Amino acid sequence: MIGGIRRVLAVAGNTFLEAVRQKVFAVLFLFGLVMVGGANYFTEFSYQEQFKFLKDLGYASIGLTGLLIGLLGAAQLIPGEIERRTILTALCRPLRRWEFIWGKYLGLLFLLFVMVGIMSAAVWGVLHWKEGQLIASEGGDPAVAGLIRAEARDPRMLQAVLLVWVKLAVVAALAVFFSTIATSTTFVVAMTLMVYLIGHLQSVAREQWLESGEASRWLVKSFLVLVSLLIPDFNLYNLIDEIVAGNAVHWKATLEVTGYSVVYVFILLGAATLAFEGRDI
Amino acid sequence: MTPAVRTQGLRKEFALGWFRGRLLAVEGLDMEVRKGEVFGLLGPNGSGKSTAMKMILGLLRPTGGRAEVCGYRAGTISARRQIGFLPENPYFPNFLSGIELVRYYGRLSGMGGRKLETRIAELMELVRLGGEAGKRPLRTYSKGMLQRAGLAGALVGDPEVLMLDEPTAGVDPAGSREIRDLILELKERGKTVIFSSHLLEQVEDVADRVIVLHRGKKLREGRLEDLLSKKNEWQIRMQGLDERGVQLLGESAPRERLEDYFLRSLPEESRK
Repeated sequence: MIGGIRRVLAVAGNTFLEAVRQKVFAVLFLFGLVMVGGANYFTEFSYQEQFKFLKDLGYASIGLTGLLIGLLGAAQLIPGEIERRTILTALCRPLRRWEFIWGKYLGLLFLLFVMVGIMSAAVWGVLHWKEGQLIASEGGDPAVAGLIRAEARDPRMLQAVLLVWVKLAVVAALAVFFSTIATSTTFVVAMTLMVYLIGHLQSVAREQWLESGEASRWLVKSFLVLVSLLIPDFNLYNLIDEIVAGNAVHWKATLEVTGYSVVYVFILLGAATLAFEGRDI
Repeated sequence: MTPAVRTQGLRKEFALGWFRGRLLAVEGLDMEVRKGEVFGLLGPNGSGKSTAMKMILGLLRPTGGRAEVCGYRAGTISARRQIGFLPENPYFPNFLSGIELVRYYGRLSGMGGRKLETRIAELMELVRLGGEAGKRPLRTYSKGMLQRAGLAGALVGDPEVLMLDEPTAGVDPAGSREIRDLILELKERGKTVIFSSHLLEQVEDVADRVIVLHRGKKLREGRLEDLLSKKNEWQIRMQGLDERGVQLLGESAPRERLEDYFLRSLPEESRK
């Protein structure tokens, strides 16, 4: 068991190192940071609107950068290793295939964790800087300063960060699943993006399925059932928008979405392991 | 004694895609490699050498038959603990340095701590990549250096059996000689080495036994002495023979070159 964990960590460490040493990820990361920093220059709104705008653009930047990094990273995981034939020298060792899959996934997850962490710190930094700027411009009125502080130091942002990371974790697991059955990185990116988009419409399909009566055709009904059960509901992560809008979101709801995501990650990685187990390299 | 590698009726078919049929890559391969010997896999391109190797390594699942490594079924964790592999034209994660590569492979083999670091230092010296060379990124390595780094990676788990697929392909003569010397050194250390090569002179230099494959089937197998010696011919080109020399002449027969033997073994249409 310890040997297995050690091997999983070795693969994870190598995956993380590979991503960190690649220029494309550094460029994407910088792009994300520039977006976060750039939001600071939109100043012609009220302070509430400015904070909302900063948070909105900040989390959108984290989500977009994370999506690109997660997609590109996961797409290269297995097809890239097969194309470069580096997989041969890894899998001929006493390494189980599930250890390889989990190692790859955990490496990517850690990369996303670091990226989300650093970018969130940047968002908080920008908010903090804005807080000081606005308090100074309001002439130091303690009542207004209190309101500005409450906006800038909203503790619910921690929930938003967790939800962004968890959403990216599901996207990465999807990409890992497709990478075990694909032969090219383009296929992985295309399929993951497709499922990601369908995932945003999943709730519509589920409602249609639940509301459709006996009258609907079995083919349509089967399709709706399939979409509802197989594809994760990405609308659940709209809680992030609620937090940014300043609406109350309970930790219970955040943890429920996290639990839902963990279940999907396990299902996807289990399917990935099954698909990869019998694959000729 | 349990053989290092044994295959019985090993067979591999590849599906070529929908409605395109199947390709038979290896058919009914029976082969036995004894512990401590250097075994050469010969055959033209597409003869099934790499496919056979990959089945022994567990990277490909046989369509039929079975393969064993040191008595363990090929592909199992126990079998893979006994085996190290250097693929043809290997591409390693080029963001790593030579030392990092060997360390990564060591960790995948379940090693760690001081034991692994000592082993890395020993191996980097063995493959002549000690000192600063081992700290350089792999993307700055020459082909020969990459092969030697790969060899160190294959040896890190201290396997009984080493499989080298075309280890000297694309390597200059000096690098090629270094790899040949390493194979002989490994043999001296008691390792079993199975390798494929198109450089028949090199195979002749190092192999104890060879197998000749053609279109997935075994054509010949045996000791080089037995395969290459011309049993019913004698060729005498000596002057002033002493008694011992005359005695030796009586015992031995002249050998043909492996290249000639190899070409003679192939079906006529393949020789053209």
